[in-house]
Amino acid sequence: MEILIYGTINSIALALMALGFALVYGISRVPNFAHGALYVITGFIAWSLLRTLFVLIRVRGMAISEIIASYAIGLAILEGLRWGGFKGSTYTLPVFIEGSINIGDIPVDLHRILVVGIGVAVVIFLWLFTHYTRIGLALRGMAQDERAALMLGIDSDVMAVVAMASGAMLAGLAGIVLLPLGNIVVEKGYDVLIQAIAVCIVGGLGSWMGAVLAAFLIGFAQILTVVYLGAHFQMVVALLAIILTLILRPSGLFGRQQGPYGWSICPDVLAGAGLSDPAQDGADCGNADPPFCNAKYVLAEGHLHRVHLCLAGREL
Amino acid sequence: MLEANGLMVFYENMLALNNVSIKCEDKQIVGVFGANSAGKSTLMYTLSGIMEDIRKKEDMAGGERITVMGQILYLGRDITDLKPSKRAKAGIVLCPERRRIFPECNVIENLRIGAYLASPSQAKDTLEYVFMVYPALEKLEKRVGGFLSGGEQQMLAIGRALMAQPKLLLLDEPLLGLSPLIQSIMVKSTKEIRDEKGLSIIVTEQYARPVLPIVDYAFVLENGAAVLEGTRDELLNNPDVRSAYFGV
Repeated sequence: MEILIYGTINSIALALMALGFALVYGISRVPNFAHGALYVITGFIAWSLLRTLFVLIRVRGMAISEIIASYAIGLAILEGLRWGGFKGSTYTLPVFIEGSINIGDIPVDLHRILVVGIGVAVVIFLWLFTHYTRIGLALRGMAQDERAALMLGIDSDVMAVVAMASGAMLAGLAGIVLLPLGNIVVEKGYDVLIQAIAVCIVGGLGSWMGAVLAAFLIGFAQILTVVYLGAHFQMVVALLAIILTLILRPSGLFGRQQGPYGWSICPDVLAGAGLSDPAQDGADCGNADPPFCNAKYVLAEGHLHRVHLCLAGREL
Repeated sequence: MLEANGLMVFYENMLALNNVSIKCEDKQIVGVFGANSAGKSTLMYTLSGIMEDIRKKEDMAGGERITVMGQILYLGRDITDLKPSKRAKAGIVLCPERRRIFPECNVIENLRIGAYLASPSQAKDTLEYVFMVYPALEKLEKRVGGFLSGGEQQMLAIGRALMAQPKLLLLDEPLLGLSPLIQSIMVKSTKEIRDEKGLSIIVTEQYARPVLPIVDYAFVLENGAAVLEGTRDELLNNPDVRSAYFGV
């Protein structure tokens, strides 16, 4: 019972930490290594947001630069705070509501109940936002095919700013909600970053549902570890989860990065291509023709033919 | 409506479009025909502004050097340097080659993403219109884009482009990979859309034959250059075109 309650609380706290990271990565493919810093620095959020946005939008689409830039910003913020004198464990936020209640016979303080409530609300809000609002749908479109979104008048740079800002806001929200449970220390930033990345890797980078599910997996694993092995093993769980995921299922539970299985050559396309008569199977290239394929050329029957090489729906 | 003068596009030193000038009058369907790598998609990307986006991204990442020269006039306004999103807002919407449906969204969501630029009432009306033109889509409302057949995806792609309230619709190889039966449905619906919505349409194809009946004016591209142009009848009666593009 204790495990169930605190496992749930811990899981939802993890989900709160990770969702912002997952959101930013899902939309603009920027792994935002400043995420942990944003969590800690909620107090200075307006200032840091502007700096982060400016640099990160500038480098969007350049894989290595994104990582270096966001990591550098994160380091700068955290070490800047340390340099600024925010050291030690004297900084705490007040909890929102004092007091505790008993569930069964386990005492749970009200602030932790609030964390669960806010976590659930955030997940529901994100789902509604991405399924029913104009901006949310545009974000999803951009995450799936940026160029197609551009053709429909969706400004990808603006959307990337929106995604980055919402991600930072989620990090900040997680900070405000979770920090009253402990002290505000600079190291917490690295901690949160690692936990957020662990959750996102296990869940599959860019998948929000995966992130929520992985948060529960890791959350319960952590509480079980604390109960049966001791509190100081807690951090190992997240790191172990990263390693295990990378060995067993590198794309994560719901990841979109797929391995080189699922190759198919679907007969395309040029009418009368001789390789296969598209009219024969009644319709067209049909379900064998995934949304994105890339044309390759093969020599058959003395003519140059075009076939589509498809990899489980991803462009090659 | 749209007038492109002397378009030149270089990928590094490779010439992809060589001094191409094309024109599309109000409510016309203009065909652009040419073989693979003749420059059809490059032309569509240049007109819709996607080329501007690709150029910017390549430039920032230090990748391929892309140069675009020439001038594009749309409704009397120079849009050569305009961002793709601004051009879409002005009414130039591209329905891309190979459809590029959002594979993880269902049919309705795909269409609603397409309605990003539309007002709620426009979106509602256009949605009804799309289902009227392509009744097949209405039955598939909840099906995820990646699980649609090629023909259904093409209908969805055109529907999605219509949701963006275009004044000039660019169709890049809408018949690619479709059976003759679906091809004829697509061609018929293209004309219907032009007549009912009063749009201008530029359509590219490798094979002129299925599209030519609905085309008012057409250009033929070869190796990046526009080698021939004329009205439908002029092209139909041109022996070179007949042998090269109709297989007659």
